[in-house]
Amino acid sequence: MALENHITKAVNVLRSRICDPKFIFSNDSPDSNYSKLKFMISSSVTEACNNSILLLGPRGSGKNAVLELVIQDLLQQYPDSISVIRLNGLLHSDDISAFKEMARQLCMEHQLLFSKAASFDDNSQFMVAMLKECGLAHKTVIFVLDEFDLFAKGKQRLLYSLLDAMQSITSQAVVLGISCRLDADQLLEKRVRSRFSHRKLLFLPPSMEDSQSLLVRMLTLPIDSSFPHDYAVEFNKNVRVSFLLRFKETLNKYLNIDSSVKDLLRFLFCAVSHMDLQTGFLSRENFEVAFSSIQRHPKLEFLRTDCSELELYILVCMKSLELKEQSLCNFNSVMKEYKSVHDSFQTSRNACLRAFEHLIHRELICFTDNRGQSLSVEFRPVKLLISPAELHQGIGANNSCPVS
Amino acid sequence: MAPFRSVSDSMPPSTTPEVIENDLQPFFVLHKASFRRKDRAPTAQAKLCKRSKLSSSSPESVKQLEGSVTKECDHHLFQQPQIEAFDIVWAKIECTIKDVLRDLNTSVFHDIQQWVLECFNATKLLGEPTISEATRSFPVLNNTPGKLFTALVSTRNIEYVDDILTFEELGNFLKSHGSHVAMLSSLEFSLKNGIAGCLKALLREFLGGAIDVADISILASWYREQVNYNKPLVLIINDLERCCGSVLTDFILMLSEWVVKVPIIFIFGVATTVDIPRNILSSHVLERLCPSRFMLGTPAERMDAIVEAVLVKHCSTFSISHKVAVFLRNYFINQDGTVTSIIRALKVACLLHFSMEPLMIDPCNSNFLEWISSISITISLTVSFINCNQAINKRFKCTVYICNFLTNTILTILIGVFTSFASNQCQFVDVANLQLMILIFPFVQCLYEAGKYSKVRLLDLFCEALCQDLYLSRVSDCHVGGEKDRGLSSTNDPCQQYSVMQSGGFIGQIVRKVRDLPTGALYQLIESWEKITADISESLTSSRSVNYIRMEIIGVLSLKCPIFAWRRSASKISINIDKDARMLNSQAISFLDCIVRNFLRPIEGMPFHEIFCFKNVEKLQLVLIGDPRRRIQVDLLEFHKILKCSCCSKSGNALLPSRHDSSIVYSLAQEHGDLINIHDWFQSFRSIVLQHKNKRKQKAKQSPSPKKRKVMNGSADQNESSIQARFCRAVTELQITGLVRMPSKRRRDFAQRVAFGL
Amino acid sequence: MDKDKTPQLPRRMTRSSTSSSVSTSNHVVAAEVNSLEPLTVNDLLVVGDPISLDDIISSFPGRSSQIREIMRLLGPLNSPMLPLFVYGGPSTGKTSIILQLFRHLNRPLVYSSCRTCYNHGILFESILNQLLLHRKNAANGYSNAKRCERPSDFVNFLREALTNVVNNLKKSENSISNKMTTKGKIGNMIYLVFDNFQLVREWEKSSTILPLLFNLYDMLKMPEVGLIFISNTSPDTFYSNMGYVEPVPVYFPDYTEGDIRQILLRNQLNQKLYSSFLDVALHSFFRITSQVGQLSATLKPLYEKYCEPLSDKGKGVAHNSEMNLRLSTHIKPHISSALNEIFKISSLASTEAKTCKEEKLKGKSRRSEQSEELGSLDFHMSTCAKYLLISAFLASRNPATLDASLFDSRGGSDNRKRKRKPSEKALERKETLEEELLMKGPGTFPLERLLAIFQCLVSVAEDSSDDDEQNNNALGVQSGNGSLMSDILLQLSSLCNANFIFKGRSCPIEGSTRYRSTISEDLALKVARSLKFPLSKYLYRS
Repeated sequence: MALENHITKAVNVLRSRICDPKFIFSNDSPDSNYSKLKFMISSSVTEACNNSILLLGPRGSGKNAVLELVIQDLLQQYPDSISVIRLNGLLHSDDISAFKEMARQLCMEHQLLFSKAASFDDNSQFMVAMLKECGLAHKTVIFVLDEFDLFAKGKQRLLYSLLDAMQSITSQAVVLGISCRLDADQLLEKRVRSRFSHRKLLFLPPSMEDSQSLLVRMLTLPIDSSFPHDYAVEFNKNVRVSFLLRFKETLNKYLNIDSSVKDLLRFLFCAVSHMDLQTGFLSRENFEVAFSSIQRHPKLEFLRTDCSELELYILVCMKSLELKEQSLCNFNSVMKEYKSVHDSFQTSRNACLRAFEHLIHRELICFTDNRGQSLSVEFRPVKLLISPAELHQGIGANNSCPVS
Repeated sequence: MAPFRSVSDSMPPSTTPEVIENDLQPFFVLHKASFRRKDRAPTAQAKLCKRSKLSSSSPESVKQLEGSVTKECDHHLFQQPQIEAFDIVWAKIECTIKDVLRDLNTSVFHDIQQWVLECFNATKLLGEPTISEATRSFPVLNNTPGKLFTALVSTRNIEYVDDILTFEELGNFLKSHGSHVAMLSSLEFSLKNGIAGCLKALLREFLGGAIDVADISILASWYREQVNYNKPLVLIINDLERCCGSVLTDFILMLSEWVVKVPIIFIFGVATTVDIPRNILSSHVLERLCPSRFMLGTPAERMDAIVEAVLVKHCSTFSISHKVAVFLRNYFINQDGTVTSIIRALKVACLLHFSMEPLMIDPCNSNFLEWISSISITISLTVSFINCNQAINKRFKCTVYICNFLTNTILTILIGVFTSFASNQCQFVDVANLQLMILIFPFVQCLYEAGKYSKVRLLDLFCEALCQDLYLSRVSDCHVGGEKDRGLSSTNDPCQQYSVMQSGGFIGQIVRKVRDLPTGALYQLIESWEKITADISESLTSSRSVNYIRMEIIGVLSLKCPIFAWRRSASKISINIDKDARMLNSQAISFLDCIVRNFLRPIEGMPFHEIFCFKNVEKLQLVLIGDPRRRIQVDLLEFHKILKCSCCSKSGNALLPSRHDSSIVYSLAQEHGDLINIHDWFQSFRSIVLQHKNKRKQKAKQSPSPKKRKVMNGSADQNESSIQARFCRAVTELQITGLVRMPSKRRRDFAQRVAFGL
Repeated sequence: MDKDKTPQLPRRMTRSSTSSSVSTSNHVVAAEVNSLEPLTVNDLLVVGDPISLDDIISSFPGRSSQIREIMRLLGPLNSPMLPLFVYGGPSTGKTSIILQLFRHLNRPLVYSSCRTCYNHGILFESILNQLLLHRKNAANGYSNAKRCERPSDFVNFLREALTNVVNNLKKSENSISNKMTTKGKIGNMIYLVFDNFQLVREWEKSSTILPLLFNLYDMLKMPEVGLIFISNTSPDTFYSNMGYVEPVPVYFPDYTEGDIRQILLRNQLNQKLYSSFLDVALHSFFRITSQVGQLSATLKPLYEKYCEPLSDKGKGVAHNSEMNLRLSTHIKPHISSALNEIFKISSLASTEAKTCKEEKLKGKSRRSEQSEELGSLDFHMSTCAKYLLISAFLASRNPATLDASLFDSRGGSDNRKRKRKPSEKALERKETLEEELLMKGPGTFPLERLLAIFQCLVSVAEDSSDDDEQNNNALGVQSGNGSLMSDILLQLSSLCNANFIFKGRSCPIEGSTRYRSTISEDLALKVARSLKFPLSKYLYRS
């Protein structure tokens, strides 16, 4: 019972670590993005100047997390001279809602009451006024624009008015753009780009060694009162040793496929959740299971297990039609092919049509165009969504495989 | 506009939806475009839409009907008396029709109701969720997937007009038997509205009030409220063919997620074939449905029921001649097989009849008006009198009374118009004929009873019975037949001797069928005969008419009696020998033969039938299949036939500027192909109009073809503009009448002709 | 008057969490509906008696591995998780397994099916309703707790509501943790489940909603929230131009034949008989489809047929080998027919029986006569409509260039011989025609062509019709060309309504609307037969 308890507890600890970005990136080596970013922002806070930075990097490389850490620390450092406004391109890509949200957060920051009915102009003027006020009060407003590229989509009025307001001497604000498009600054209009100070921070996927060390750091239990001492020691030793010896290559195999931190975390998550609760130790099998369960080939799976014999036949017929360079094929031509290929297996048109619809729902095939709703299904042209190689492999793997 | 008003209020004041339905047809013809637009209209709930359609339709068709009537008969004939008479009669006929139609449906309705209850209990068995479960968002946990019970009510008629009313009745029926009913039409299931549209409509139907955000969970929580709980929810969609498949698919899938919480039951009206769902829905939806089918009566059956009720059973006041019957039959078979149109036809016939019946006398003679009114009043009175009591003898008396009345008044008021009435015994003949005329119908019904075994439509039978020349042929050979059966009475095959056997057509068919009818069926047949002929026999006792009629009838009845005797004996002694059966058959045939010989006399055979019988096919045809497009074109081209102005009458078909603009424009359009270059069109129009101006301006030198510069004078520009305006108006009129289509965006300078020749 | 309080009540309702267990108890009679306590956090649990993991596994044959995997990924109490993506074919038990697992774990979840919530607004509002413990009723006019269209508002509301619920959970947990064992604990995690997630791609705003929902976890930054997406299609079909961190995939494969056996055998009263039935029937169906829904739908009527020879419809009958033999021989023909049947009007037999029963007691043989036998039309169409339908069928089957060779230009009066042997040009075009018919389906045609063909057909039919039925002449049929030609547009519109003719948009090249007949050939043949009209003469590929 006690064993159960602290094993589950260990799992919980590991899982909460994995799900908590702060823990992952909380290592401040002098050249890490964390320290750079912190330096930039804190300098602009202390020198009361304007600044604008772009954080670029692939998805899941921890831009947000690092930024959060930095802001957290700064809030502790200068508690009353910073106010943070967070916008997300997914939510506030249109100017109206963006300004509204901005006004709302500003009101919340400064205990003003926010009127939902305020118009676009009211909100923008309110923002400018607030910037002035904050500047006079020597308070730095930090604008965090997540999904920066989405803000650069339309007429970029938000960015323009924001950066334009920052041109005035009194205001002091920091605009932080976060984007996973490395060419995010190229998207900006000229008038915006001219007002934008081109500081960029690149977030690169961690190197093999970094990720390995990160993994070890994530998986080591704390040696303190929270766990029975010997179990924790045993667990850590197990992790370190078995990592060095055994599941390194699994990891490397995985990291070759996708190597961002988030993906690594997914991998770890699966591994940890597969951890055996009896022994309570991570084993190599866990990692392999995790690897196989993350790396999926859905089409192949469909082919292997979901497709009935008839559906496989239909797929084969379509493939052979494609090999014949027929311009476009639809159900009727497939049926003709099917009859020619395979006459003995008498199946009615209805059943074939149903199988055909099933394939369409499975998105192994799809209509080539959305037009021609008036036509019934058997006339609309379709195309295969899987390569012949995949098809071959899948049919080979299928347990109820027709011999042909 | 007096006639117009009078007719429009000659419609029964409480215009039942049925009457309105009747008038839908011409509306479709004339205003097909607008109807299509309505059809595609994304907004509006079904009922409202329908209502508006109907309400907008009824005046239309009244107008058309009225117009066609007034075209024929002069307006002063629309006097109150005729109208009143028509009102009384038609009200009677209509209510009988409605009763008949309802009776046709009741059995099916009961089946459906029973089925609904079964389905409801079946869904209950799937599990009764608690309130908190039922209002939750996730499905109830049970292993069996819920299925949507679906009734495919096949109204076997491609026209769905009859069935709108039927489904409304069905809805009311189910409501009265305690279940929530929602009626949706295919308007909701259109791509434009999408799933939101039909959900909104569904909620509106069930909850009543308008809901801003249509969400099925609303329905769930509504259903769980005390008052609404534990009743089946029925959703009626009366025309499945016109629903958009994809939307319906989404709708069904969504409902199938909620089937346990909201036990909804579909009733689809299927016009054509029951595998319509297979065509418009995809297979993964079909497996959610658990269908069963119900059959409504075919329009042919309804037709027969109506004819039987109106023309045969409830014989009175107004019947139709052979030609009219044949016309109705063909109209039903060829034009459109909707019962509503037939009812409309009857109504029109009735109206025409009542408006034209006094035309027997020269209408321009004005001092007959009060006579006409008086006679029509008396007719109407007697008519109502006849209708209210059904016994034959009463009818007989009434008819005698009519005749007496006629003769007396005519004798007193005008002498020499009806000389045939001068002498008494010819009146007796008339009376006799009248009585026979009345007697024909029960016997037609007898034939129909027999005809049901050989699937003869009553309408055909009716036509044949009324046919004049067939009757003559029958009469000619009936003597021979008479000789035959008087001479050799006992041959080995007693059936062959009757003339009916040889006669072709439906009657012969029937008789041949009766000859080899199994005994049991024969009993039923004879029973029905007995029922029908009962009142005749008792009418005879009171009939004070000429002898030979009584002779005939008594002969028939005596001929009838042994049959019944046979039947009783056979029913007593349950063993029935083959010989008895054959005897029985032969007896029955002899009975039929006697009927056919003596009583199937067409109404036109006798004088006075004009009072009862409507003969004028052409007028009816004009009203029903008036082919409005063609009429419009004809009137536009040969307008001078209508307005008999002096100028046109002498100058044949030449384009005179004095013609009406639209007619000028249309006759100019005749010269073009099916694409008309608007500029040329306008130029030619202008030239014609200006030529007129020229003529009027300088009479001295008249130029056949005006030069442009000639007209470039003082008021040229305003001329131009006025001419353009007139041209535009004329073309717009043509477009409104549906003869040309306005230029499309692609080809701005071309209008298109959509009139398909004469 | 307590109703008007209900909207703002739920916030502080969690204090009465103990009392609320009454409202979630299994027997609530409908009388209580209006006097309901407002919802509490416990109403986010899956109601039902506690169920053990083994029961779940045994009740879902062939799913044990998936069940275990999901259990692992959900993790022990109070353990945060990354978003899951559960996918697999229809009726593979995704939803019900997840719901059962939550019933077993007794943790709160917010379930919303993207089919029931058919656009993003309704999805947002239903999620918020559940989180804010809002109950729709007549009092509040079945309104939602919050109106929100915009994603931004949604995220704000959602964060607020979630923090609220999570705090309540924590509070209640602290309050009851001492006296309850870990079994009964609700925990402080809350899970959002999105079912039928593949449908989101068809929404009009999908380009913004999809990334929003996928990035929701990162956006909220709340470790106490778990997201579960359930979808029919695999994750790689959710392509969005701006990427997202993929959720952890869980795959539900279709059942194998053995699994399907077990599933179908469940809740059958005569196991042995049914298994012997499956021995005969199942395999051939399994070749066609491997979906449980379709299989059970098709096998059910077949099994009834299978039991027909038995006296007591296969209740507790002690059956043996030769009876199996008999039954299988009895069922064989039906199997092949059922293979080809997609849509079986299953309970047709019963209603038919009912109808003919009452026919007997009415003594009328009308209806049974109209119940259609093959080859005859079972619904009424006027002659005019029939001709129109046939001409539409011809117009969309034959290429327009061949009309001249088929029909006489002036309404063919003497074109019989020409019909019999179509011209050479037509003959050599035949196979190309077939080819494109196969590919493109029925062609479209303008109204004018339809009317031309119609006129020809009618004229031909009239001079042919006078000899065949003579009683019509006796009755003086006068169905003249004019009488048939009139009201054509009406007939056409009613044909369009009946889905026999599809009325297309106006074709861009020439401005007129084009039509296309969508009827199958055998229906056209039926119609032609009912008219005694020689359709095959006019039709190519005779």
